[in-house]
Amino acid sequence: MIPSQYQPPLPLDRLILKEGTEGAGDKMELDVLFVGAGPAGLAGAIELARLAKQDASVGELNIGVLEKAEALGEHSLSGAVVNPRAMRELFPDLKDADLPFRGPVTNEAVYLLTAGGKVRLPTPPTMQNHGHYVASICEIVRWLGQQAEALGVNIFTGFPAAALLTDGDRVTGVRTAASGLGRDGQPLSSYMAPNDLTAKVTALSEGTRGLLSQAWLEWQRINSENPQIFALGVKEIWDTKRPLDRVIHTLGWPLSNDAFGGSFCYPLAPNLVALGIVVGLDYGAVDLDIHVLLQRLKGHSLFREYLEGGEMVEWGAKTIPEGGYYALPSRRSGDGVVLLGDAAGFVDVPSLKGIHYAMQSGMYAARAIFQALKSGDGSAGRLAEYDRLVNGSYLVSDLHRTRNMRLAFRDGFYAGGLKAGLMTLTGGRFPGGRIAMHADVDAPRHADGAEPFAPDGKLTFSKVDAVFKAGNTTRDSIPSHLIVGQDVTPEVARFYTHVCPAGVYEEVDGKLRVNAPNCVDCKATDVLGPRWTPREGGSGPKYKRM
Amino acid sequence: MSHVLAVLEQRDGSLRKVSHEVVTGARRLADALGSGEVHALVLAAGPVQGTEASGRYGADKVITATHAGFGQYAPEGFARVAAEQAKAGGYGAVIFAASAQGKDLAPRVAARLGVPLAADVTEVAVDGGAVIVTRPVYAGKALLQVKVTASPAVVSLRPNVFTAVERPKAGAVETVAVSGDAGRVVVKGIKAATGGSLDVAEAPIVVSGGRGLKEPANFKLLEELAQAFGGKAAVGASRAVVDAGWRPHGDQVGQTGKTVSPSLYVAVGISGAIQHLAGMRTAKVIVAINKDKDAPIFKVADYGIVGDLFEIVPRLTDEIKKLRG
Amino acid sequence: MKIAVCIKRVADSETRVKVAADGKSLDEAGVKFILNPYDEFAVEEALQRKEKAGSGEVVVIAYGPQSAQETIRTALAMGADRGVLLEAASVPADGLVVARALAAELKDGGFDLILFGKMAIDDYNQQVGPMVAELLALPCVTCVAHLNLAAGKGTAEREVEGGMEEVEFPLPAVLTTDKGLNEPRYPALKGIMAAKKKPLDVKPAALGAAGLEVLALTPPPERKEGRIVGEGVAAVPELVKLLREEAKVL
Repeated sequence: MIPSQYQPPLPLDRLILKEGTEGAGDKMELDVLFVGAGPAGLAGAIELARLAKQDASVGELNIGVLEKAEALGEHSLSGAVVNPRAMRELFPDLKDADLPFRGPVTNEAVYLLTAGGKVRLPTPPTMQNHGHYVASICEIVRWLGQQAEALGVNIFTGFPAAALLTDGDRVTGVRTAASGLGRDGQPLSSYMAPNDLTAKVTALSEGTRGLLSQAWLEWQRINSENPQIFALGVKEIWDTKRPLDRVIHTLGWPLSNDAFGGSFCYPLAPNLVALGIVVGLDYGAVDLDIHVLLQRLKGHSLFREYLEGGEMVEWGAKTIPEGGYYALPSRRSGDGVVLLGDAAGFVDVPSLKGIHYAMQSGMYAARAIFQALKSGDGSAGRLAEYDRLVNGSYLVSDLHRTRNMRLAFRDGFYAGGLKAGLMTLTGGRFPGGRIAMHADVDAPRHADGAEPFAPDGKLTFSKVDAVFKAGNTTRDSIPSHLIVGQDVTPEVARFYTHVCPAGVYEEVDGKLRVNAPNCVDCKATDVLGPRWTPREGGSGPKYKRM
Repeated sequence: MSHVLAVLEQRDGSLRKVSHEVVTGARRLADALGSGEVHALVLAAGPVQGTEASGRYGADKVITATHAGFGQYAPEGFARVAAEQAKAGGYGAVIFAASAQGKDLAPRVAARLGVPLAADVTEVAVDGGAVIVTRPVYAGKALLQVKVTASPAVVSLRPNVFTAVERPKAGAVETVAVSGDAGRVVVKGIKAATGGSLDVAEAPIVVSGGRGLKEPANFKLLEELAQAFGGKAAVGASRAVVDAGWRPHGDQVGQTGKTVSPSLYVAVGISGAIQHLAGMRTAKVIVAINKDKDAPIFKVADYGIVGDLFEIVPRLTDEIKKLRG
Repeated sequence: MKIAVCIKRVADSETRVKVAADGKSLDEAGVKFILNPYDEFAVEEALQRKEKAGSGEVVVIAYGPQSAQETIRTALAMGADRGVLLEAASVPADGLVVARALAAELKDGGFDLILFGKMAIDDYNQQVGPMVAELLALPCVTCVAHLNLAAGKGTAEREVEGGMEEVEFPLPAVLTTDKGLNEPRYPALKGIMAAKKKPLDVKPAALGAAGLEVLALTPPPERKEGRIVGEGVAAVPELVKLLREEAKVL
């Protein structure tokens, strides 16, 4: 079964609108608009606000940041172990102790797991985390938000961007999603019309599998050498009785040979542990269920000893772009627009880093945008300065060094491991050349007969219970925001049921049932099947310390 | 020795049942404080039926304060008279029910007396001569224990908690006519709730159904069970059946539906997802009926029956009908 | 119409309650704070009444810590004209202390209406509104679910056991608002931007001696382990017996 056969195309006619198209309620003009208040968008807004303040000829800029979550951080999820480099550059006057991190990495271990035990591996050079910090991306985002607001940046939470506004090839802004629609799509008494926000430059910092970023790249026919590929991470935070003092990464069990990924376990505080599993979405077994893999993982003695007697306090899921260097779009700037962070693919899988790249890309974008505004020219030519800055920076050289590492695992765990080892030893030079990769949605799936899984409600949880712990209180009567393909067979329905970690899809009597309010915006099925579109602001998860 | 004033509630000339809970609570407090007396106060337009019963629950004296304008609840008049009575009697504590009227009246009286109000409490005790109360906060997710350092201690009791207990005292009834203004806020009357069913969030008994009922038509079984409880029960629903369109959203318990705290919650054919449990976990007694003995709901239920709900529920309806005669 | 709305910053209802180290208060780590949902009805009512009257002012007043400024900004973003923060490190358990501070601020404001949400979803005290009314010697109706105003007076409906109580009262008055009174608006984009420029005065709250002392905040007692009474229809009589005699709910 090949998932791409059942995936509907991107609804470009809904996503790319001519500016002035009717349907908007309020209109607002800004100088610069950032779409998505994650690390990239906020770092960009902060850098831009600072540059403007310091330059009398530009004066105060009207900078807006749109965020679909009800409050900052609620849709942000990451491991995370953060390289402080970008933070230090953005806040040179602050000491590391003042930055929104939990604590330095003091100890780490990498294990190869088997069903019954573990083998300690020497930490690969790409995973050295000395000098890095354990952090919660939610806390980072809330902190960056405060810094941004203090500089006069306007942050609008609860406003998802649903379409790009365009004038010819130029992006002139975005239209937000309407709210207050009933299940049948008809306006309720609480209906609020979409808003049009126009700006001289729109920075798309939507995060992983950003919808408008995808739409813009497709519309402008911008390609990358390899298609972008994704992994799905499912994560939990636990209050534990037993303290954890080290950062742990694992490979191997419970992943089979044809699934790429591993797990992480980080101490946010000695008794507050973040753990999760990350699996590439090109896995082979049609009934592989990443949420279930995480539940099984917790039963391994390595994790059980920390979790027993504790309490799961949060659960969440999100995809991660894994294509690296060869999946970067050939250009990430255009007329009136730039692409930042995860939306552009700035993630290094071997080191599991994306947050500081996201911030750095935001800062480079801010500098390019600032120059463009100064010269009154937001054209593609001017904004290409952003690409030049990024391409000449550590951002791209880092990704270039590890360009084939993830791709090597296309051929399975052992062959991949061998190749990856060689790449590390040779600084990426061998094996050289690009390893071609197919898109996840084109990877064929076969039935594997997975064991049934019964949660115990104490250590392991069902998807329904997990979604509750994601803080999801989406209005039950909201219209479905997911575009499902035609002719979904029972096998494909079952596939979607396993792909989605939040229980949105169920196979009932051979038919696909969609529980759209469960959705936590992870985008996994957007990669492999039904397309995700934004729904009314504030829907989805409410992550607190993910 | 300070006495305790229990402010009772009447409607249409009859004492409301919650008044017995107030006397019970006042008696408990008076006994803990020492050998104090409980004086009950009723505000009405004329004699009130049922006041003599207050003695049974521990009132030494019942004072009916009458005023032509007190036929309906008169917030300002009631507050003035109750505060005057409290001051005149030098009471150490003044107790109200945290009923709709009590929640309106108690703060006014407390403010007039210049003291705080410990509202909606579930426990009263005395320690070192001071009144200590416990009250649920954060929607029942925590309990706050508070010491009342002011005097008199003005307290309102959460209904359905201080189950009326007979502790007979003299219960001598006095009637006193009071003068003065009934107040600027005038209650014209009470419009009875228009037919229709009890709200799940208000009903003392909730019978909820989930996917185990298989079809929307089968909710009839639950409606019959609810009826057997004689107008005190509402029918609730799990999110799954509301999503499937079987029941209206207003009936949903849990997640974005309602949080309910009835005395009795009967979960029929509901597996017990956390989001549902979050909506009913503060129910006093939980009964679960499900054919799956491993269903998570059994971990939360006080009593469970494993089996076919299509047989069990009708039998339960019969037994309840028999009980109520 | 000049209307004052008293609002409160409260922990979101989805908060997982953890007790702080002092054993008496909420551990605020990771807790999301919002405008008290019942206060939203009050703010919305004030905005609608001012819009209907064609002119006037809506002032929002909060008693709380510095961070309550954010809560005031939310109300300003909805459309209120200005805000006042009576700043205190924490909100005391004694509602009369809060009422006194608010009454002092409201006293000379010349308000036609003073609105409160019927209760705060953190402490469920349900008292500050009527207490303020007593202190200001103003008429007060609580838990208003339906409201009609005319010149100098109004009628309201409030939910009581078994029905709706109809009440008449003169203006100016203090009202506390219940769910169903109106449909609170979401702040519009322009409202959010405008809120930043609206005046927000921060003053120290008048402190008073509290008559209530918090001894402890504890999680609720664990539910006692339940039991399966039996299997099938045969277990029903036993269940009913237990419900009647042991649980005493029948």
